[in-house]
Amino acid sequence: MSVGTTGTAGRSSDPIIRVYHASKSYLPGTFALHDLTLEVHRGEFVFLTGPSGAGKTTLLKLLFSAERPTEGQIILRGRNIARLSAAAVPALRRRIGVVFQDYKLLQSRTVEENVAVALEVLGVPPREIRARVFSMLKQVGLQHRRTHHPLSLSGGEQQRVSIARALVNEPEILLADEPTGNLDPELTIEIMDLLANASLRGTTVMVATHDLGLIDRYGKRRLALEGGRLKDDIPAHRFT
Amino acid sequence: MRIGDQFTIHRAQYFLRSAVAGLRASPVTSLVAVVTIAMALLLIGVFLLLLENMDQVLDRFGESLVVTVYLENNVAEEDVQAFQSRFSSIEGVVGTVFVSKEEALDRFRHRVGDQGGLLDGLDENPLPPSFELSLEKERSSIESLALVAQSIDGIPGVDEVSYAQEWVSGYENFLSLARVIGAALGGVLAFAALLIVANTIQLTIYARRDELDILALVGASRTFAGVPFLLEGLLQGCAGGVSAVALLYVLYELLLPYTAAGWSFLLGNVPPQFLSDAGTLLIVAVGAGLGLLGSAVALTTAKRP
Ligand SMILES: Nc1ncnc2c1ncn2[C@@H]1O[C@H](COP(=O)(O)OP(=O)(O)O)[C@@H](O)[C@H]1O
Ligand SMILES: [Mg+2]
Repeated sequence: MSVGTTGTAGRSSDPIIRVYHASKSYLPGTFALHDLTLEVHRGEFVFLTGPSGAGKTTLLKLLFSAERPTEGQIILRGRNIARLSAAAVPALRRRIGVVFQDYKLLQSRTVEENVAVALEVLGVPPREIRARVFSMLKQVGLQHRRTHHPLSLSGGEQQRVSIARALVNEPEILLADEPTGNLDPELTIEIMDLLANASLRGTTVMVATHDLGLIDRYGKRRLALEGGRLKDDIPAHRFT
Repeated sequence: MRIGDQFTIHRAQYFLRSAVAGLRASPVTSLVAVVTIAMALLLIGVFLLLLENMDQVLDRFGESLVVTVYLENNVAEEDVQAFQSRFSSIEGVVGTVFVSKEEALDRFRHRVGDQGGLLDGLDENPLPPSFELSLEKERSSIESLALVAQSIDGIPGVDEVSYAQEWVSGYENFLSLARVIGAALGGVLAFAALLIVANTIQLTIYARRDELDILALVGASRTFAGVPFLLEGLLQGCAGGVSAVALLYVLYELLLPYTAAGWSFLLGNVPPQFLSDAGTLLIVAVGAGLGLLGSAVALTTAKRP
């Protein structure tokens, strides 16, 4: 199948994420990703699937510049980040929201402080931070928990905090690595709905998961990885 | 310009809030760091207290130090004038007091009291006339006294120049020795404290290392993520310094009845005093410096993504 020229009608034209012949090798002679080429358009919602060790996490790490590709190019918003200097990484991260299986919240700070930190790094004035954090927490249904510390929250609540933090600065791209891996099915739907909503508002969302039931339910585009290669690119299908 | 200032203030507030949150999140480790700093500074404080008091004795003594120039017995009235202007032109000399033979005798009588009759048998006053030269305050050390004395010794008409008793110079030697030992001990202590503090703070940072990673994920620069940790160290250091001074004060006051003999051995009849403001500030500043440096060391040695 051909990538690169498959823009669906009605979608904005230039892709926001372009991965071009990217490979990643942690250890000489082995490839976590091998000659991967793909494109994701603005506002798209994409599932990234594949068995454990397929390279899902590695691909996401390349996208938020936690790792550099051994070969190939990663172009975000028209800018090549394959050889980004360490000093330029923070600025890139401020435009990308990231959500992890283990939430990665600051235990020493309250729920609202955890969400606010994404705006603090941008230098947003305190009054605006307060307002935006409050409305964000309201969207994820946690406004009543805003002065709590993460450890006093349930797993689902903690993940909602981390999604609120990822979305509060209105990033163009939201990456999620197994965001529901620790949650039971009911909470899983709740979290996925939040991510799907973000994409409806124009954020490009990429979710790594091995929960195939989830993919069926949402009917979104699916990039299937296996052994570090792109095995399949299944376009979104409409519900019948 | 105003926007920039606002921004700076907001940043500072954020850093301070984060630092306080960090301290509250690990109260036990923070307390250990504060106590460690306080103990090291308490020892340094004891040395400083001793040195300041001994310095003060010398200062007081220094104020009353004069170079006494004994003139030959038969010096003429007009020569006294000449000597006076000559002595007062010596660098560092601020006061010249002429003590005539008669005044010298009066002083002697006054000092020996009733036994004044001792000299009555003599038909001539045996005491020589003299000049007492006082020096600028900054120069009232043994060295400058000696220098002034040297420049006068040998002038025709001058019989003898004397300054300071032996023990003053001995005390000053002792003091400079104590100062060197104190500085060396203080330095070793401060260094040991630095290592312990750095280690303790490194533990707090290690325990919260993931926080640095998390902050990096949301786009915090190294500085942005690191400043709250530095501030935590600074606050711990200040708290340690203030506790050390407070503890020293309590000990000093409580133990005063038991240490009186020791003090009078060191200071004679000069009453002991607690640390000066400058000394207090120094202790707190050293604490702040230790805390800051400790967390800086911990930050640079903690591996970062
Ligand atoms: N830091 C690393 N060092 C060495 N090998 C790694 C590292 N991270 C991942 N790998 C390897 O790369 C491959 C892909 O891993 P990963 O991207 O985590 O896959 P997934 O997220 O799909 O489970 C695996 O074989 C894994 O063992
Ligand atoms: Mg993974």
